Amino acid sequence: MRNTLSLRSYDPWPEGVQPSVPIEGYTNTWTHTPSQTLYQRPVTRTEATGPANLWRKLKCGDSNLAQTSTGKFAQGLLMQVSGRVLDEDGRPIPNAIVELWQANAAGRYTHALDQREAPLDPNFLGHGRVRSDENGGYSFLTIKPGAYPVPVKDTWWRPPHIHFSVLGPSSLSRLVTQMYFPGDPLNEWDRILQSVGDAGARQRLIAKQLHPADVGVDHLGFHHDIVLRGRSATPEA
Amino acid sequence: MQHLTQSRRFPLSQHTIGPFFPADYFLPGDNDLTRVSADAAPTTKGDPFTLTGIVRKEGREPVANAILELWQADSSGRFRHPEDPEADKADPDFLGWGRAWSEGDGAYSFHSVVPGGYDENGQHRAPHLNILVMGIGLMRIAETTLFFPDFPEENAADPVLSVLPEDLRHMLVMRDNGMVDGVRSYGFDFLLRGPRGEETPFFET
Ligand SMILES: [Fe+3]
Repeated sequence: MRNTLSLRSYDPWPEGVQPSVPIEGYTNTWTHTPSQTLYQRPVTRTEATGPANLWRKLKCGDSNLAQTSTGKFAQGLLMQVSGRVLDEDGRPIPNAIVELWQANAAGRYTHALDQREAPLDPNFLGHGRVRSDENGGYSFLTIKPGAYPVPVKDTWWRPPHIHFSVLGPSSLSRLVTQMYFPGDPLNEWDRILQSVGDAGARQRLIAKQLHPADVGVDHLGFHHDIVLRGRSATPEA
Repeated sequence: MQHLTQSRRFPLSQHTIGPFFPADYFLPGDNDLTRVSADAAPTTKGDPFTLTGIVRKEGREPVANAILELWQADSSGRFRHPEDPEADKADPDFLGWGRAWSEGDGAYSFHSVVPGGYDENGQHRAPHLNILVMGIGLMRIAETTLFFPDFPEENAADPVLSVLPEDLRHMLVMRDNGMVDGVRSYGFDFLLRGPRGEETPFFET
């Protein structure tokens, strides 16, 4: 049997890593964010566990978002996003479910709720789900998302970003986050990214661009590791 | 701040799931915890129940498009996970996980079997459901635990429910809605933001 204690090791979130809420200029955070004390709950078996073989329930599919099944390409800069799902000790987490969704090159989502006047791309659905491999690795071929405005009085724009939802080995390692691109001026003005107080924590949300010589002529390459809560969070099943 | 060492990493910051979580990620049966996959037969162990309710925000307005995830033990109080010393005895036909989506009126529902309680570190966990709520305007996942009205004594001794001030504990006990279409039915409404005694108690773990 494995060392149960190490699996139970969930440090409190470090200062400045969690977004500070509610957020000025993001009106929904003022009506949806709990206002009362969060009660400190002990880690019992329920919190430390999670579903086995969730990929049987949540079907994992194609990691190519940039092309339709008939081979037509989406509009935009082709890029590959790849990285590893890791625990806090840097150990790979295999079999994590990685869900990803993003706007098209014009900054519009293929989603009934996105009614903004920006073109839809018939060849871009903009989402995918894969399972991390035995080394924790994941990879998507997609296009670079566009920025889009947040329709409030004091307008701000979301910088290009990709949404990630990751289901790891326990419910405590459940992570919903976003990935940003290096060097985009909008990053500095993004109310959501800037709600993360710690500069290092913000930096870890920004993907690293790979040297073109290492990627080739087919697409750009970005590397982004996803670190889930829990030290040695990987169950030795 | 300088705190990155080579071996030590920090989890990535949480962010809101936003309004555009892909609608076609939701398939019929995702909110049914009794099947390990859409084409698998449901477990035959345990008492089936449905949980229904409404997600609301400040001012008690319904929240559409909230995403709820439920995780629970099987009918004998075990988990099919290496963290459970009796994982090998856990029900192989029970997933214990489900995902639901709130409609325009804020309504959601889950279908499962009543979990068993279990003993751990000299304490007894009452039968319970761990629920995560995600949605627009929620920058961090809201976590809570729901309890059954059928086990008042176990609830009173539960180490998680006991964390709450006594006057708030009843707020995490589901309503007994009796039998609906021959299935045991419970109700629970979430209020994401509101005054003390009305806002759903949420946990940090
Ligand atoms: Fe977005």
